[in-house]
Amino acid sequence: MPSSNPLPPKENSLFKRILKCYEHKQYKNGLKFAKQILSNPKFSEHGETLAMKGLTLNCLGRKEEAYEYVRRGLRNDLTSHVCWHVYGLLQRSDKKYDEAIKCYRNALKWEKDNIQILRDLSLLQVQMRDLEGYRDTRYHLFMLRPTQRVSWIGFAMAYHLLEDYETALNILETFRKTQIPSSGYDFEHSEFLLYQNMVIRESGAFEEALRHLQANKDQIYDKVTIQETYGELYLKLSMFEEAKNEFNKLLERNPENIDYYYKLHEAEKLTTDAEKYELACRYRTKFPRALMPRRMALNYVSGDLFRKEVDEYMRRGFHKGIPPLFVDLKSLYKDKEKIKIIEDLLNTYRVSLTTTGFFSPDPNEEKQPASAILWVYYYMAQHYDYLQDTVEAFKYIETAINHTPTLIELFIVKGQIYKHAGDVKEAYKCMDEAQALDTADRYINYKCAKYMLRANLLQEAEEICSKFTREGVSAMENLNEMQCIWFQTECALAYQRLEKWGESLKKCHEIDRHFSEIIEDQFDFHTYCMRKMTLRSYVGLLRLEDVLRSHPFYFRAAKCAIQVYLRLHDRPLSYTDTQQQLNTDLAIQWNTSD
Amino acid sequence: MKRSKIELGDITPHNIKQLKRLNTVVFPVSYNEKFYKDVLEAGELAKLAYYNDIVVGAVCCRIDLEVGRRLYIMTLGCLYPYRRLGIGTMMVQHVLNYVEKDGNFDSIYLHVQLNNDGAIEFYKKFGFQIVETKEHYYKRIEPADAYVLEKVLKPSANNDGDHQSNSMK
Repeated sequence: MPSSNPLPPKENSLFKRILKCYEHKQYKNGLKFAKQILSNPKFSEHGETLAMKGLTLNCLGRKEEAYEYVRRGLRNDLTSHVCWHVYGLLQRSDKKYDEAIKCYRNALKWEKDNIQILRDLSLLQVQMRDLEGYRDTRYHLFMLRPTQRVSWIGFAMAYHLLEDYETALNILETFRKTQIPSSGYDFEHSEFLLYQNMVIRESGAFEEALRHLQANKDQIYDKVTIQETYGELYLKLSMFEEAKNEFNKLLERNPENIDYYYKLHEAEKLTTDAEKYELACRYRTKFPRALMPRRMALNYVSGDLFRKEVDEYMRRGFHKGIPPLFVDLKSLYKDKEKIKIIEDLLNTYRVSLTTTGFFSPDPNEEKQPASAILWVYYYMAQHYDYLQDTVEAFKYIETAINHTPTLIELFIVKGQIYKHAGDVKEAYKCMDEAQALDTADRYINYKCAKYMLRANLLQEAEEICSKFTREGVSAMENLNEMQCIWFQTECALAYQRLEKWGESLKKCHEIDRHFSEIIEDQFDFHTYCMRKMTLRSYVGLLRLEDVLRSHPFYFRAAKCAIQVYLRLHDRPLSYTDTQQQLNTDLAIQWNTSD
Repeated sequence: MKRSKIELGDITPHNIKQLKRLNTVVFPVSYNEKFYKDVLEAGELAKLAYYNDIVVGAVCCRIDLEVGRRLYIMTLGCLYPYRRLGIGTMMVQHVLNYVEKDGNFDSIYLHVQLNNDGAIEFYKKFGFQIVETKEHYYKRIEPADAYVLEKVLKPSANNDGDHQSNSMK
């Protein structure tokens, strides 16, 4: 239904120009045209023009005026879908989504088949997870534009999200039949087929999914996903030989993917450690350059066999100089016997390397590089640190530093030993030294900043981080802008320890805002993914956003905020407290600045 | 298993602290900030040596124009556990390649503490010879005297008839 107050042709064409200007972000010009209409006393209260003026003002950051004009416009023309739509857009830009949905609905009352409003409404509905509403809107859009691809996909996806698989699949399959297979490369169709297959699998019809995959595999270009899906489906359907075959092919592609080995355990119906060890050995022979089967073998053996295997594994590591060897083996430390065996071997290497340069007295060995003993010391320091034997840990890290004082990793481990022993100050000093040895290394830079924050040195940490933040803006601001959550969490915890409650809460809320922003950011994907057909990723995104705040990063920040709020509730700050707080703030500044 | 990897790398403001650490451990003499500032400008004349990706040695030279055009090796050293593995040779070879490519150096020279037989032997292998003894060269270490070792690269200027006649014109 058109406006209750239509403009004469001259003004109407001006009004159209306002709309154009808005679309093209020429807000200043838009205001000029609005003024031309409104300055005519006959139209000074023209609702749609007032509303558009408000919307334009909003884009120029003049929010209060914007609300004023939009509301005035709406009051003057309550039956105009333009006014309602504009009011909805304004609320949307203000993140009041529920209000915006109501406005769109009102707009649709007066213009029920307006495609633009329906689209805007559907976006808000899926954003707010009003899935029933979304389904109805998508249905409406589908009926209005049945020839458009997006109409079909959106319609089907609404049912998929509501777990009405049958309807979703009906729509998808009907749509697929209308598609004429193109001879060339068609990525979007390939993605569509994979999405269709995903919905079939989620409906539980695995045999149907398998048939679908077989029938369409030539039109799907993501070959890894085809193979992985085949493998999964074969397992689900207990077709173990086929599954085995599929995961074997996948391992040919990537023998380092641990999941493929686990799937093979399933396919070969392996239950005992001995069987799994045998499998690891088989693949070790098959892929001599792969690390994963070598490492996995260690998980399934014990006693002398473990000694033999881990001996070979560690020698290789020390020979090549693999810094994360300890981290790699740490999961074996659940088993006391394994720790003992590793420790025995380490001592044999240490004694033998320092006296003869070989790993053991065996004359058939080749001589080891000069760095081998260094990596043994380095490992031993971490080994004893893990076992909380601080004295031994220090002994070996010092020996290592005397041996090669230029190896940065040594100072990192020394810092870690201090940290685990509870000395945050010495810990950060070591990290700072490590950092100074290679100021281009981002990892050490991060470690150093983190350790400084553990020692409550907020200013120093910011300074260190500034080596990697954008020039010209404060590091703290830039880190917030980049959503550097770990840094802000550590800041919040440092402020909490310093009893600077306000500062601590400020950081926690900054983190909370990042999570809100991540949810906000979804908005762009509702249209983008549909258009680009990246439907699997899109559904993955929606599911991630649904549980976003269960992320450990959020949990840590929330915990800190809760503790601070409880502290403030139990013992609210009095006037004298606030004064004292100011004094201690000053004192802290003095202490940290020396 | 494969052989150990030795290679040379640039000295940059990011890793110069590693050179400082190395020099502190390897040499009994300490070098001032000016030394390190100049090193950063020295390009191919100053290099770190890596053994299996670990910094274990370094060489720092400068061009000396006092008498003719000579290359002076200020420091050339390697951490103790990594000696006799070819790292020093690689660094000397780098210097020799540099002067050869340049083609305009009269000689390369350096100072060695009088009792440092290992170093003297090492340089003799490359054609260096003791040409002078400087008494009280070092200030805070014993023995304080140093040998000057030199490797002559081209005949001295007065034998260079062609060049002389040109400049006489």
